[in-house]
Amino acid sequence: MAIFSQYVEHLRIGIHSSPEWKEAWDRMNDYLGALRLPEGLDRELILLSSFERAIGRKRQEPSTPATELVFDETQKILDRSLGHLIDEKVPPDRRSVEQRVRLFLTETPDGKIFPEEGVLSGEVLEALKEVRLRTSPHLQVASVTPRPFEMTALGANLVRLAAALSPFGANRIIAWCAGLAIIGLLVFASR
Amino acid sequence: MSKGFAKVSGKDGSVRLSGVVGSARFEEAFATKVAQRRWGVALVSLGIALIGLWLMFDIFTAAGWTALRVVDFALFGVLFTTLAFGFTQAFLGFLVLAEDQEPLKITNTLDEETPLASTAIVMPVYNEDTATVFGGIKALYDSLQGRGELDWFEFYILSDSTDPSKVVEEELAWADLCRQTNGFGRIHYRRRKLPSNRKSGNIADFCRRWGHRHRYMTVLDADSVMTGQAVSSLVRLMETNPRAGIIQTMPRLIGAETLFGRIQQFASRIYSPIFAAGLNFWQQGAGNYWGHNAIIRIAPFLTSCALPELPGREPLGGRVLSHDFVEAALMRDGDWEVWFAYDLEGSFEGLPPNLTEYVKRDRRWCQGNLQHIWFAFAERMKPISRLHLAQGILAYASAPLLVLFIGIGAIQSALDHLYHKAADYPVAAAAVLFALTIFLLFGPKLLSLMHLFAKPDKVRRFGGPVRVIAGVVCETLFSIFVAPVMLWFHTRFVLRNLAGQTVTWNTQTRSGGNGPGCLDMLREYWPLALGGAIFGAGAWWIGSSYFVWLLPILIGLWAAIPIAWISGRVNLGKNLFVTPEETEPPRELTARFELQLREGDHFVHAILDPFYNAVHVVLQRERKAHSSAVSGYIAALAAKLFKQGPGALTPREKRILLSDGPTMARLHSLIWKTPTHQLNPGWVAALSSYRANPQRARPRVESSV
Repeated sequence: MAIFSQYVEHLRIGIHSSPEWKEAWDRMNDYLGALRLPEGLDRELILLSSFERAIGRKRQEPSTPATELVFDETQKILDRSLGHLIDEKVPPDRRSVEQRVRLFLTETPDGKIFPEEGVLSGEVLEALKEVRLRTSPHLQVASVTPRPFEMTALGANLVRLAAALSPFGANRIIAWCAGLAIIGLLVFASR
Repeated sequence: MSKGFAKVSGKDGSVRLSGVVGSARFEEAFATKVAQRRWGVALVSLGIALIGLWLMFDIFTAAGWTALRVVDFALFGVLFTTLAFGFTQAFLGFLVLAEDQEPLKITNTLDEETPLASTAIVMPVYNEDTATVFGGIKALYDSLQGRGELDWFEFYILSDSTDPSKVVEEELAWADLCRQTNGFGRIHYRRRKLPSNRKSGNIADFCRRWGHRHRYMTVLDADSVMTGQAVSSLVRLMETNPRAGIIQTMPRLIGAETLFGRIQQFASRIYSPIFAAGLNFWQQGAGNYWGHNAIIRIAPFLTSCALPELPGREPLGGRVLSHDFVEAALMRDGDWEVWFAYDLEGSFEGLPPNLTEYVKRDRRWCQGNLQHIWFAFAERMKPISRLHLAQGILAYASAPLLVLFIGIGAIQSALDHLYHKAADYPVAAAAVLFALTIFLLFGPKLLSLMHLFAKPDKVRRFGGPVRVIAGVVCETLFSIFVAPVMLWFHTRFVLRNLAGQTVTWNTQTRSGGNGPGCLDMLREYWPLALGGAIFGAGAWWIGSSYFVWLLPILIGLWAAIPIAWISGRVNLGKNLFVTPEETEPPRELTARFELQLREGDHFVHAILDPFYNAVHVVLQRERKAHSSAVSGYIAALAAKLFKQGPGALTPREKRILLSDGPTMARLHSLIWKTPTHQLNPGWVAALSSYRANPQRARPRVESSV
């Protein structure tokens, strides 16, 4: 145990003394915070495990940024921790998204999240595996067809009149002149 | 015909005619009664109008007939008849409420034992405030759940939102609401990628997709709230009245914070009951639909109410902008009844917070109502439907007619002044006409007060008699001074529409703090003040008495800027204009709903936030592989967004990107795993908002409906 804690302490010091790893640490810490994983031992363990693996990988892939390596390793750990929430048939590129959806669904009103294996009942677990977020029900299609629009004789004449007058109405100068001419005529007749 | 109308057929309500309900004799008796009422309303309205016309004729005859006065007389006829009709309706409503025993109203048929039927609660939204929308749905959901009636209802939020941030916010709000209520499978969210035909197209799309799934739909506006009891009652009314196609409720205005809003809210609450009772008195099963807070029988809606394309182009032709009146008319055309449940409690809606927003809404409504002119002349429309459509048109077209009436009167007076013709008006006739006009204008307010004061318990709910009277006096003064402003804008809107200018479809602002500032007001309203000054100078030149005569209009125009500005402020008149919904709010209006959403641009959160991203990605339709051109375009958009930061894309580009789930998922990982020095500063700043902070990690949006 003493060796373990000493090892963790060295790892932590190593991470914080390198700007690249420090940045990766902060980034992943923020990410797990955004996942509403409470600060504490769990988060710390995920981070340290991810970094341990990422540091190992860095030796083989020196050009890959530390943030990328740590993100990938964290994702793998999350995949393992939350694998029991999703169906095995879910394709690998979709697993992360489906896991996050299930975390979202299982969050309690007081913000508790991250259901570990054994915490949820078998029934809930099965339901979670099968869950498929759907915004709307299956279609039950109906036809909506407008009836043709028919005018009365008066209406038809009105349409014709409106069509005939529309060029005058659309031209502001002509409209104003016509309006003023009518008023002028009325004024002239009312003197 | 509804059987419940027989409930109170005797004087003491004890004689029941249930034995003859549905019989031809009963139907005939009902039809006769309704016809008598309609003739009564028409005769009283025309009688009052004829008195006014006779007095005006007397005045113009004494002054001498001219061409201008002939036109003025004709305009007066139209305007005064409209006024007389409004007064008659209010007066009859007052009598109905005073008697407190209206046998011909749909709510008489309400029986709590009637079984419910499958009903969709439908809420079309367009870039609306998410907390308000989902708060309203949550309030109704809880209310129905509390009544043990939830199994009969499903909720549909029908989004036409185009703002990418709103789109993501709505998705998360939907997921959060479902999560909080365990409402998955009962609360649905559908977004149209192509929002054609606006709100009516949105509802029609719902009908096409799920029209056969439910017997009824209750349509809500984005700011509507209804109680579970009100919605259940509507379903039961539909079940007991198999010929009812639509039942409209009378929504109470709620939630106003600004002075303008509070005045409107108060006025509507005090004055609307008598108008509503009067409206039901004559229209009966030939009522109207106001677009929301109503229940619709879906089957006849599908067969009868599809909206046709109008002749010509917008603004007066093309697609129907204001669908509700037309749908009611088409429903009636299909021989279905449209009822007004004016006394059904538990129906509420919001209102624009200030004069500017109110006017903006009126601009849309103006164009929508003017379009109805085609339906007023369409084949097969029932006469009462034509009347409803004509009333809607006149609600806006009367403004230019009144302006013309005042303008022609002013020109005639100017001519008289110029040619030194001293018009010899009969003082008695002029005084009587003036008094009659004032009575018709303000009589309904007085009748409303009388109705209210007859029930002391109701007065207490308005804050007591002193507050009620003070409120009515202040509201009356306010309405007098605002009337010229509305006159100005309505005239402008009508003329613009006639000249071919159309309106754009903007989101309605339903709450807005203190509203526009003083400078904005100055920019918006200066023509009114200038017009008022010119008109005032002309009136003064004609004569001081004429000037005094026009003073209420002139003051309204001169003071348009300060009135619009001050009335848009919050925290003014908090002790006045009190309504029962404030003193004794129903539970549904006080329920607090906490949406757990982040603040800021939700499009950015859809990429960065692990939950936003996941929920958004799984909600996207899984597509078969895109064509290489489409895939290339989406990849190019993603690359542009990554390189140039969150603000790089246009709203349209953002919507395209949002619709591709896999790309959104890839962007999420890409940005989180890219080192800071390789990231665009915009993304660095966005990521910094995710720095571990409990308050940011668990943000809350509260909504008190």
